[in-house]
Amino acid sequence: MLRKTTRLFALAAALWLAACDNNPHPAPLHKTRPDGTPWVVRYQAIREDPRSFDPQYTYDQISRKVVEGVYDTLLEYHPMKTDPYELQPCMLAEMPVKAADGLSYDFRLKEGVRFHDDPCFPGGKGREVVAEDIQYVFQRIADPAVESPFESTFEECLVGMAETHKAAGKKLDYATQRVAGVEVLDRYRFRLRLTKKYPQILYWLAYQCTAPVAREAVAYYDGENGREDFRKFASVGTGPYRIVNYEPRSRVTLERVPNYTTTVFPSDGFPAAKAEWLKTLAGKALPFIDEIQLPIHHENIPRFLHFRQGYLDIMAVDKDSFNAMVSPMRTLSPEFQKRGTILEPAFEISTFWISFNMDDPVIGENLKLRQALAHATDSKRYAEIFYAGVAPVATQLLPSGIFGHDRERQKRYPFDLEKGKQLLAEAGYPGGRDKDGKQLELTLTGQGAGSEDRQRVEFDQRCFEQLGIAVKVNSVTFARLQDIEDRGDFQMCTTTGWGADYPDPENYFMLFYSKNVSPVGKNYFRFRHAEYDRIFEQMVVMENSPERLELTRKLQRILDDECPMVPTFHKAAYLTLQPWAPRTHNNLMYEVDGGHKYLVTDTVMRERLQRELNKPALWPAFVLGGLVLAGVVAFIGAVRRSKNQTA
Amino acid sequence: MLNYLIRRLLYAVPILLGVIFLTFVLFRVVNTPEHAAINALGPKSSVDARNAWIVNNGRDLPLYKQFATHTIQLATFDFQPSITTKRPMGETFREGVGPSLCVTLPGFILGLCLALVLSLYQVFVRNSAADRTITLICVVMMSLPTMVYIIFGQAVVALGLGWFPVSGFTKGLDAVRFLLLPVAIMAIISLGYDARMFRAVFLEEIAQDYVRTAHAKGLSATRVLSRHVLKNGLIALITLTVGQLPKLIMGTLLIESFFGIPGIGNVMVQGIQTSDEPVVLACAYLGALLYLAALILTDILYAAADPRIRLS
Amino acid sequence: MDFFTHWLTQDLLLILGLGGIAFLLARAARSDRWSRAATRFRADRTGVIALCVVCLYLFIGALETCRVPVGGGATKSMLDFVIGGIPDERSYSAPFSNQILTDTKPQPDPLKSQSHILGTNQLGQDVLVQTLKACRTALIIGGLTSAIYIPLGALFGIFAGYFRRWVDDLIQYIYSTLASIPPILLLVSILFVLGPGLGSISIALGVTGWVGLCRLIRGETMRQSERSYITAARALGQSHWNIISRHLLPNVMHLVLINFVLGFSGIVLSEAILSYLGVGCPVGTASWGVMIDSGRSELSRDPVVWWNLTAATTALFGLVLSLNLLGDSLRKAFDPKRG
Repeated sequence: MLRKTTRLFALAAALWLAACDNNPHPAPLHKTRPDGTPWVVRYQAIREDPRSFDPQYTYDQISRKVVEGVYDTLLEYHPMKTDPYELQPCMLAEMPVKAADGLSYDFRLKEGVRFHDDPCFPGGKGREVVAEDIQYVFQRIADPAVESPFESTFEECLVGMAETHKAAGKKLDYATQRVAGVEVLDRYRFRLRLTKKYPQILYWLAYQCTAPVAREAVAYYDGENGREDFRKFASVGTGPYRIVNYEPRSRVTLERVPNYTTTVFPSDGFPAAKAEWLKTLAGKALPFIDEIQLPIHHENIPRFLHFRQGYLDIMAVDKDSFNAMVSPMRTLSPEFQKRGTILEPAFEISTFWISFNMDDPVIGENLKLRQALAHATDSKRYAEIFYAGVAPVATQLLPSGIFGHDRERQKRYPFDLEKGKQLLAEAGYPGGRDKDGKQLELTLTGQGAGSEDRQRVEFDQRCFEQLGIAVKVNSVTFARLQDIEDRGDFQMCTTTGWGADYPDPENYFMLFYSKNVSPVGKNYFRFRHAEYDRIFEQMVVMENSPERLELTRKLQRILDDECPMVPTFHKAAYLTLQPWAPRTHNNLMYEVDGGHKYLVTDTVMRERLQRELNKPALWPAFVLGGLVLAGVVAFIGAVRRSKNQTA
Repeated sequence: MLNYLIRRLLYAVPILLGVIFLTFVLFRVVNTPEHAAINALGPKSSVDARNAWIVNNGRDLPLYKQFATHTIQLATFDFQPSITTKRPMGETFREGVGPSLCVTLPGFILGLCLALVLSLYQVFVRNSAADRTITLICVVMMSLPTMVYIIFGQAVVALGLGWFPVSGFTKGLDAVRFLLLPVAIMAIISLGYDARMFRAVFLEEIAQDYVRTAHAKGLSATRVLSRHVLKNGLIALITLTVGQLPKLIMGTLLIESFFGIPGIGNVMVQGIQTSDEPVVLACAYLGALLYLAALILTDILYAAADPRIRLS
Repeated sequence: MDFFTHWLTQDLLLILGLGGIAFLLARAARSDRWSRAATRFRADRTGVIALCVVCLYLFIGALETCRVPVGGGATKSMLDFVIGGIPDERSYSAPFSNQILTDTKPQPDPLKSQSHILGTNQLGQDVLVQTLKACRTALIIGGLTSAIYIPLGALFGIFAGYFRRWVDDLIQYIYSTLASIPPILLLVSILFVLGPGLGSISIALGVTGWVGLCRLIRGETMRQSERSYITAARALGQSHWNIISRHLLPNVMHLVLINFVLGFSGIVLSEAILSYLGVGCPVGTASWGVMIDSGRSELSRDPVVWWNLTAATTALFGLVLSLNLLGDSLRKAFDPKRG
């Protein structure tokens, strides 16, 4: 009896000790590399489940972050040159050659780039990537069955895309229906023919949507015979990683593929502060990390707590954990300074704004009213409240990092309530009332799902109401907001903006081009301006040059004069990195914490610091045990007493 | 008996139809084909692509036709894949049931045991100061929002003490580490309510004649309580708890999403937050199915436990 | 849905609903059982205290509900007159502190007017004011929901229990269907259809919430119908309406009252969960659920912003606890054997 109890106790103690380990990650795939050196793992959280691993289908940030490591693209952004961004060949042997008329580009693939080894290939060995695979990529984009969101983009610029898409009906026949604009010249060379001058096409070749996929993989992973559907899980790419595990709502795990040679660490463009260190990496084989674990965290709190415990290597600080980590002087708090945590600002290439509907009879016709509203928008305080003052106040449409962004520029309509009230009076609403003395009521539409979103909308509402007008808030879901914008069913919209698809001013200025008026395009402001259209058309086809710069300034000036929207801020965050995981690149065309193949991690340091950070406290266990004991004693006492009573 | 079962099953059919109809109508009213297309293709998709999507997915057909296909699909368990992740729902359910049960089942059983012990103790010392104090504590526990328990557990217990991971989940035995905290919270959340209910059930049982007879025969209070009251009370309790089974399978919304447990509750929260229509409709259907099954099971258990009740 | 989101309609509906319930209660209270229960209740100290606390909440809610026009179509609530005039700050400020938390340099702020007893929230609003204003929100939701689900549940329950046959079948069918959908999904889908707003929340909670009461009343009515006085009344040829309103209703009214009190606390708690799911109160409405929801992420700030969460939780806890205690006391008063 006694021995049994002891054994039970020992078991319980063992279980307790095991339970005391608070590491949230499963064990890595391996302990050491084949050559005996330690296996390097990196941990960084993602916010949501990836929607799909199909490069031609995904268009959301989370999926891109995962897919980016799996699929190499034809071109890629230089990981350090960010002002302005610069393209360099990745799977291509050299930069493409533009024809004299600007209507066609010639490309040459690197030789010997292979798909990942996978059962879908004969013998399980990955096949070499050839020019015919590029034709296949564009066929997939044209295929209605793939539902590629990029089809409409290429329909406008690539010869034959529209025809192939139309002719395909429900499903494309890959053997016969080819995209005419993609000409395969020989085994490694191909040519893209364009319908119009469109230098931005090169940016699209650095985007995952044109990353080569293997037709063998698509045929093999058809979702039948117990094999998974290609679109969802399989990932036979050409990049440095492949997906080895995906547990929905829990985590994605990437493992490096052996023999990745397509790219090496760059040897130029290093930022001065890190140049010494980065030089030691120059020309080295990529990637540096063997396994990437991407746990999926919906909630902010657990993500922050895990980072604090040292179980995440990198985290974009949200506004609430910000004050715990960063002092008001914009340096790290002592707790994190002691640990050696690294703090780096990361400015996303995006602009947010409050948009006006130019077709609206009240707001669209009345420039003075729009200007009054612009003067009432306190972007500085907004950025202070919601981005801890890190996000730069937007003074213009273009975010920094894009050609044409003017650092010196001042806000055309700075926060100035007096000026706003005066303009409101000139607009016909002195004191917020029209000539019959009725208060002006405007509707503000915004995304209002979470408590954070609600506060954002409420902030704008309160800003405008300071003018003396009434603002009704229509808070809707994300999908409904998109629909409302497309249908033009709003007066003012907030909580919306535009994240750059590629670093070219065209990607922003096209939002105000009259031929893009929603629902056809993304000009949901319904802004129509002949002069603007003329300059825009001229600017689009130009290479970056002083003349082009002049044109972007002109476009910005027109937008300021007409005021179809109030730019509010450029989204930004502070990145915090553990001392064992410093950042090698600062390129945000990879997602904020992307660029997997350039990352480094010092595992020895991590293990030491993790142990230091996580020492379980034991005293509460004794307190708890004592409480339980007291409860049991009380119970037994009560039983005894009641026995005595009846006896 | 068999006759009864068949009748009950047949009775369930119109209810299920009602459920399908109701959820379908509610969701199709809000979720216009355009919304669904934006959800599926993303905000930057073109209008052409959206229109093509609507046609390809049969969302342009008259509503009654859509309803017919929808009903047939659900009845044959041929769930539509999620709009946002394109994952088949059957798979999502299969993957989600395990983690959900990992939290809810131990949490439920632990909570049940705690509530039983507590309520028995209260019955023992009924109408004393201890009884009143425990009742008051139970009411206090009932009056706190679930979120407060979770926030407290995560911030104080997990981070402050460093015993458990703050959140996450793995497969296999290692999952125990992740589950301790959510299971404890799950048990504590329902403790107040359950203990009070059980106390009421036991007190009612004690007031019965046979208990008085037993006392009169000179049996000790402990014996009466354990032999008669507990046994008879348990019958009532088992039937009460069977009704909870569907809730266990469908998971707990808040706990799962705060602790990052990839169960069905988490699926529902995500479905709701992304207005993922196929997910929500399938969840509603599955929930209803389980609920009706539990109802029938309860009836059968009643009949088995109490010979006076005849199923007819 | 504009109709339901307007404060005037909400308040009117609330007053009508509560008036209706009060009328029914007053009618039932004339019976013996109620006067006996009232005597017993008065002796129960906990119950009386709980009732007082609930009344305090009602009073605050009523202050916020009564609006006075201040000219030009704008209105101000009585509460605004009592505690109004507290200016907003720029962002967070701790209780009794004269600093703003997001300031680049933490130092006494010359622009800051005064310290706030419970601090301010992210948008610089006074937390005490918000907490008190949220009383109205909670009471409106609780009251409107009760005004919807109690008549539904009580009447359907009595009809089902009294008429039996197809009426019973139909009502059972309706509530089985509603009950078998996971409640949170039903709630959310109704809210998506109706759009955000206190009115829609109440409708959604009301439509999903009447099932329990209906079952309870149906069972009780069936039991009462077997009693001799109902059989006698039937034999005497009294009309159905008479039997229901004179005999059945007063005899199940105490169940309705207990259910109303306990259900109210459940509704207040549900609002917090709805806010978490993003289908809570509309923007610009103070509510405890929203405060708790935004408060949970504020906990990871440093210095910790605890006042928002604490104030909302305490206020909500106080109301729910006193409602629960009141419900208990009422149950004891009506059924001393079981209590």
